[in-house]
Amino acid sequence: MSVIVKIQDLVKYYYAGDNIVKAIDHTDLEIERGKFTAIVGRSGSGKSTLLHMLGGLDRPDSGKVFIDGKDIFKLKENELAVFRRKKIGFIFQDYNLIPSLNVWENIVLPIGLDERKVESQEIEAILNHIGLDDKKESMPNTLSGGQKQRVAIARALASSPAIILADEPTGNLDSKTELEVINLLKNCVKTYHQTLVMITHDETIAQMADIIIVIEDGKVVKKI
Amino acid sequence: MKMIVQIALANAKYHKSKNILTGVTIFFTTLLLFLVPTIGYGMIECQNVVINEKYPTWHALYRDITEETVTKLSGHHLVERFGLRSDFGVVANIEAEIMMLYLDENGFDLYKQELLEGKFPETEEEIVVSKGVLKELSKTGEIGTTITIPYQVYRNDGLDYIQEKEFVICGFIEDAETNLKQRIYSAFVSQDLLKKEIPAEEISYYFLFQVSAEDVKTTEEMELRIKQLAEQFKISEQAIRVNQEYLGANYVDPAYIPGIVIIMIIIVLAGMITIYSIYYITMGERVQEFGKIKAIGATRKQLRRIVLIEGMIIAGVAIPFGLLVGTFLIKSIYLGMFELYQDENEMMSIAKEFILSGKIQFHQLWIYLLTVFVAVLTVYLSLLRPMKVVARISEIEAIRFHMGQLLKKGKKTRKGYKDITVGKLTKVYLAGNKKKSIITICSMAITGLFFMVVATILSCADPVDGANYSILGEYEISAMIELNNKEHPELEWSEVQKNNPLDEELKNKILQIEGINGIECYQGTMMISDAFYGGREWIIGFPESRKRQLEEGIVEGSVTYEELMMGDKAILNKMMLKWYPELSIGDVLKVVVEEGTGGIEREVEIVAIGDYPMGMTSYSCLIMAEEGIEKFSENNLSRFYHIFADKKYDPMVEEQLRHIVEESGRLWIRVWEEVYKQQKSAVTMTSGMCYTFLGILGVICIMNMINTMIHGVHVRKKEIGMLQAIGMSDAQLYKMLQLEGVFYTAGTLLIAVGGGSLAGYPVFCWAKSIKIFDISHYHYPVEATIVVIVVLVVVQYILTFIIGRSVKKEFLIDRIRFSD
Repeated sequence: MSVIVKIQDLVKYYYAGDNIVKAIDHTDLEIERGKFTAIVGRSGSGKSTLLHMLGGLDRPDSGKVFIDGKDIFKLKENELAVFRRKKIGFIFQDYNLIPSLNVWENIVLPIGLDERKVESQEIEAILNHIGLDDKKESMPNTLSGGQKQRVAIARALASSPAIILADEPTGNLDSKTELEVINLLKNCVKTYHQTLVMITHDETIAQMADIIIVIEDGKVVKKI
Repeated sequence: MKMIVQIALANAKYHKSKNILTGVTIFFTTLLLFLVPTIGYGMIECQNVVINEKYPTWHALYRDITEETVTKLSGHHLVERFGLRSDFGVVANIEAEIMMLYLDENGFDLYKQELLEGKFPETEEEIVVSKGVLKELSKTGEIGTTITIPYQVYRNDGLDYIQEKEFVICGFIEDAETNLKQRIYSAFVSQDLLKKEIPAEEISYYFLFQVSAEDVKTTEEMELRIKQLAEQFKISEQAIRVNQEYLGANYVDPAYIPGIVIIMIIIVLAGMITIYSIYYITMGERVQEFGKIKAIGATRKQLRRIVLIEGMIIAGVAIPFGLLVGTFLIKSIYLGMFELYQDENEMMSIAKEFILSGKIQFHQLWIYLLTVFVAVLTVYLSLLRPMKVVARISEIEAIRFHMGQLLKKGKKTRKGYKDITVGKLTKVYLAGNKKKSIITICSMAITGLFFMVVATILSCADPVDGANYSILGEYEISAMIELNNKEHPELEWSEVQKNNPLDEELKNKILQIEGINGIECYQGTMMISDAFYGGREWIIGFPESRKRQLEEGIVEGSVTYEELMMGDKAILNKMMLKWYPELSIGDVLKVVVEEGTGGIEREVEIVAIGDYPMGMTSYSCLIMAEEGIEKFSENNLSRFYHIFADKKYDPMVEEQLRHIVEESGRLWIRVWEEVYKQQKSAVTMTSGMCYTFLGILGVICIMNMINTMIHGVHVRKKEIGMLQAIGMSDAQLYKMLQLEGVFYTAGTLLIAVGGGSLAGYPVFCWAKSIKIFDISHYHYPVEATIVVIVVLVVVQYILTFIIGRSVKKEFLIDRIRFSD
């Protein structure tokens, strides 16, 4: 088993007045390469915070996060940004597409930011895979929720990151579309040999994962 | 209503950054709206107080009035009060200038002359003097002391031989500072002496008077009344002197009002454009908010009110703040201004004393009220359009409307890019927000354009040009000429030309001075003609080296230099049309040319009208070729030596020239540097005030850029966070913000500097035609352009830096979570 993500004694507390919210409380975790890992837990259990830490979007109070053996919080802001665009792809619940860019441009954006050349054939293949090859000129506001999330998936896949972090990607979708999107995501990571870490509070979706991690009060309580 | 106010208040708090910018704009607008009329009013008020304190109180005087006319005039119903003055003579054999005048008691009063002690002169021997006069005469004395004074009496327009007389001091007057400084004084003699020394038919009076001012409110009406009265008594216009300063100080001069009003309109417009633009830029974001309020039942009127009240809440804070700062600033502005110029202008130092002693009150209630009214009006007018937009919002559209989803239905989709770079990302964003970008650029550019146009005028009002206009070469030496002074008949022009100090010897002497590289001699002579109302005027001859300038200066008619060599044709100096408006091309003037042996009658035809620098014509009425002038007399008709030096100014050269002038005792000298300094001090003050005004206006317009850029980042917080999450580095983020800023800056500069430069030229032509600041040459406002470019670029860089940092301050995850 090869480990792609390793978390050591991670701590993140939020202070709201006199109350301390222990979002992540001395947690250790390892995520295997090439697997679909689902992180489940109740609302407020700290799963989103954990995902954000994995992606280097938020900094912990203490503890370490290693991705491919590299301690990401030892990196400077800029190095972290570069690391992120090379290694990590994000998929958010509310898609977060850039409204002024069309579908194609949204997908190739991470490649552009990495100042790499766009391999059109690869992108066409991804578009084909997600079934949006006829929508590449469309603007985000003309797409349905499911379509938008597919574009977000394509964007995450486009720069061929090693790991894809998805934060409740189906939270805004109906159940039929939800399954379609998850299947698509699962297929994609398989095709492109990527690791998928997904947050969900939906049991059905979690059951589709290779590994399920349950979080409660900022701690990993179970790993199935 | 209470709910509406609450919503407006909540809105004002919620949109803090936008409202702070609006507040700053309103603050600066208020400050300008307050400062402009206050400074304008204060200047007028200062002038008025000083004038009322120092200036004579007669409204007008008529010159050359006979005793008979005096009797008639004094009985006229329009003459409310009058005094008489007559110039008796001058004290002779002293360096200072002491005029001997007859002034009656009313005259004393109208001239604000007060006797420190003693009484007015009544007998032939009595005289009123000042301590300064006694000092100049090297005498001491008090009331009753007898002093012998050598003097020359004015007779037939000239000064008679010196005579001496014993006078008894009967009174003392005070010396003004200017008297002592310039060494020009007055001594007062009795009417008895005047009548005794000058034959009755030769005595002419100055009739000083105040006209009845009933029903008269403006200076214009007052002047009209003065002129009408003169007409009734067949007094020529040349003999009227209106006391403009005094009238202006006591009656409204209508010319001031439009000036102040125009400046205030410009401020209102700049404020309006900026406030409107700030609201417009944030409108998209707020459409949704207002749509929701409308969806839950707010009427159009209520929505309009929310916008208006929100604006007025900001105005309610910003306007008093602007007034407060203005109130504190005004006194310092004045004192600073007077401090700077008090050495050059006596009025300034008097005004300063008055301000310090509290005699001049700047803080006028009506200016405060006016400022508040105009500032509120500005805010109201700029909110009209946002109010209208908000009122028209449809509930459903507003709820559907999502920030960034600006693409309207049916709008043509643009051609996509194959790959995306930071540059393309910026381009796509700006193109998607075209209207906002255009509004920001235009509102900034309008102020910039105005700035450039005014800067062009100020730059053309170059003191170097002004000095070059009024003096040719670096130094000008001319022969001393004095008319009708019996004591100095050698100074009559008819005599000077026989033994002209401007001769070859002088020329060689000057040329030997190191640093001088040439002399241009202008010849001229004096002539009398009926066309000049019997008076004397000069005719000047341009040397052949100035042939091109002479021909190019013609504005009407045509003539060649060669034709002007004959001596019977001349160009009329355009400037003289002011005095002799009836002269025109084709007129043949019968002139008597003053020649050593007496006058020679000649005929000179006006063949053209020309406009030349004063330095070349030296107020001569007619201009011809040098050779033409030479035909008038065998004598040396050299009038001016225009001396050209290597350096514009060299104290060593000036010293040597002054030495030559003093040694001769019959020469005058004018120095370019001195003229330049006078011009400079006048221009500096005007430009200082204009640039301060434009600077504040500039600050108002920069609020726009700040708003647009801050807002641009604010509404895209999530988007930017997203971009960073997928790998945009800080450097790339800065680059993107920088590129957006560069676009606004470049757009603004293109319109402001490009358009301003183009618009500047026609405005220069207009200013030249109406002789604003004696403008003669076009100068591109290089410094102002550089300042505009540097300020905009620096502001944009600082802004990008600050915005970039503020974005970085927030955790990335907070930005991604951010939801509008």
